[in-house]
Amino acid sequence: MKKFLAIVLAAVMALSMVSFASASSLAGEYEIKVWVADAIVDLTEAQIKRFNETNEDGITFKATIEKMGEGDAASNMVQDVEAGADIYCFAQDQLSRLLTAKALAKLGTKAAEFVTANYDADSAKSVTVDGTMYAYPLTADNGYFMYYDKSVIPDEDVDSLEKLIEDCEKAGKYFSFDLKNVWYSAGFFFGDAGCTSTWVMDADGNAKGVVDNFNSDKGLIALKGMKKLLDSDCWNSSSEVSAFESNSAIVVSGTWGSSTAKQILGDNLGVADLPSYDIDGTAYHIGSFFGFKLMGIKPQEDPVKNAALNKLAQFLTGKECSLERHASNGWGPANLEAQADEAVLNDPILAAVYAQKAYGQVQLAISGAWWNIGNVIADEAKDATDEEGLKQVLVNYENKINESLKLDANALLFVGAWNGWNNADEADTYYFKDGALTLDVPESDYMGGRIVKPADWGTDKGFAQVTTGAELIKDLGADNPDNNIVFAEPGNYTVTWDGTAITIVKN
Amino acid sequence: MSESSMKRHMGLRASRTLGNTLIYILLITISAIWLIPFFCIVLQSFRVESTWQVGYVMPKVWGLDNYRKLFSSDFTRWYTNTFIISVFTALFQTVIVLCMSYTLSRFRFKMRKPLMRFMLILGFFPGMLTMIILYRVLKDLGLTQANAVPGLILVYIASSGMGYYVSKGFFDTIPKSLDEAARVDGATRFQVLKKIILPLSKPIVIYTVLTAFMGPWGDYVFARYISFGASAGMNVAVGLYNWLTPDQINNNYTMFCAGGVLVAIPVTLLFLFLQKYYVEGVTGGAVKG
Repeated sequence: MKKFLAIVLAAVMALSMVSFASASSLAGEYEIKVWVADAIVDLTEAQIKRFNETNEDGITFKATIEKMGEGDAASNMVQDVEAGADIYCFAQDQLSRLLTAKALAKLGTKAAEFVTANYDADSAKSVTVDGTMYAYPLTADNGYFMYYDKSVIPDEDVDSLEKLIEDCEKAGKYFSFDLKNVWYSAGFFFGDAGCTSTWVMDADGNAKGVVDNFNSDKGLIALKGMKKLLDSDCWNSSSEVSAFESNSAIVVSGTWGSSTAKQILGDNLGVADLPSYDIDGTAYHIGSFFGFKLMGIKPQEDPVKNAALNKLAQFLTGKECSLERHASNGWGPANLEAQADEAVLNDPILAAVYAQKAYGQVQLAISGAWWNIGNVIADEAKDATDEEGLKQVLVNYENKINESLKLDANALLFVGAWNGWNNADEADTYYFKDGALTLDVPESDYMGGRIVKPADWGTDKGFAQVTTGAELIKDLGADNPDNNIVFAEPGNYTVTWDGTAITIVKN
Repeated sequence: MSESSMKRHMGLRASRTLGNTLIYILLITISAIWLIPFFCIVLQSFRVESTWQVGYVMPKVWGLDNYRKLFSSDFTRWYTNTFIISVFTALFQTVIVLCMSYTLSRFRFKMRKPLMRFMLILGFFPGMLTMIILYRVLKDLGLTQANAVPGLILVYIASSGMGYYVSKGFFDTIPKSLDEAARVDGATRFQVLKKIILPLSKPIVIYTVLTAFMGPWGDYVFARYISFGASAGMNVAVGLYNWLTPDQINNNYTMFCAGGVLVAIPVTLLFLFLQKYYVEGVTGGAVKG
């Protein structure tokens, strides 16, 4: 009997080896949760089913698909990553929040190569943070452009902001442009005005710094252009295409409004890239943000499942599935092959998207603080009465950005006798801006202090690193475990830190 | 009647009419301001020529399409969930609150006063503080996301014993001699509650049921947190909110309004029929602490 059993067992084992021989090591059944937008739930279900039937690795997904708007995915994932979806779609502006919550698995080397080779170059850049890729690009159409009512706006006027305003005022119609939202108002600063606002983020999704020149002559030009619309009675701060029903002749919105706009305006619907405004005889084309929707994978305990999910993400963001989403919902694909398809090339809405993209700034990870700082620009600019007022708006903007960075956990601060040794993250301490700081050292018993990171009392920056200006500080010798810098005399000093050495200059 | 008194009489009547007219105008204005939003929502729910927001109130084409679509969507699931949660919460919470109030009103036991004070202090802590820990506990019990309904019932009835103030105040106003007479006749404590106190406390019972029903009916914060990301466990507030995302609102706005109307119906009916008791309940409990 035993012998018989052994034979049977051996046979079973041999058989199982045969049946798996054709499949890769990824073969198996996986239960997964998927979050996609309501509009593509049914489509995604069919696509996953097709993946199960066609994939060559023997992977079978038992997927539970939930509706989740791309704008809400982050706030839901952040709540409880463990209970969140295994694979989900999200708008690119949420990347940093998701990284902070450790809700995105890194793409491996091969996957990253796949992304570089198969997707829109800008979209590949958008999933890269600190040199590592974190998601697959799903769409490349997340920007805004102009929908207009041809019965009010003559086609030849669409290139000029001034003419458009005039047409709207003459017809008693609204020009809807949601400038109270900096995602839209930043468009004036980008484009031909030539400003940038790019945040430097670390892998934890915290802001390390920002390259932002809104507060400049270029920014002033942009704000003057924006002011033309703000001051007109026809301005309406909305990005809903349904505003066409409420007496709007122009609505600046994105692809998500296309089907509704078509239904409201019918043959009168016109689509164009944003217009130019004229300052001192020069035309400046309004720019825009250009973003992507991404598909991310939650970090998995099981590396095999992770690999299988990567296969699924590659399939869902691939040519075939992208084209299906374009056909059913008009989503512009990020996949290069799909982008080259006739159907996509001949889409007038996507044509406007791409025309506007030429003036767009690719939306990379942005500090969460920026939105509230920027959203008030329009209101403040509307209240400004003269050029000085407009300049003040930009100064306020810059100040608030600097304040938001002060809270950055990666900043260096110099705490000491001059500020009562206050090292709280938000305390009025001395921060290194561009690696340097200026401080007033008052007369006291111990005119010393330490250079630290907030919440970190590291001793790797201080007395021992001072290369220039050593004569200005007391030599505490080896009896200085905290590596403190103690000034010999009171006065005003500039301290510079370049990453390895400290320079001290007395002013 | 002398001429002067006639005049005075006329003057009185005229001024009363004038006063009434003014008051009515004021009341009509106030109720119009109150009712217009509801009125608009009802009208929008019957508008079928488009599904997005429009700049006018009166539908151009009337119809029931929005309601039809509503019943083929997840809404029925959310509505059932909400209804189940509210009914169970109303039931359990009422029983717990009434038992609690009766005990604290009629029994004299050691630590009674400290217990009451302790619950008063506990009540000062905002419930939101417990949200995260509640989520963790429920998650371990498997009562979140798709299984959120029993979880939410637990959440809503969990601390209901502390809401005894109003009904205890009411019970305190019922003479103790009634209890004593019944006890002398051989009634048990429970029989006293059932046969004497409760029939005399109809307003407060109905008030308790109503408030217990209303709490979960319109809750968003807890419901969203416990049922996150799973349509099957959502209540109406959370579910309907999902229709307001930028890519959804243009397709679902009128359906959203129809949903809002259906959500309002049970609550309106309850209040319409139980309003009398509700007012008595609110004021009745305030006699004595």
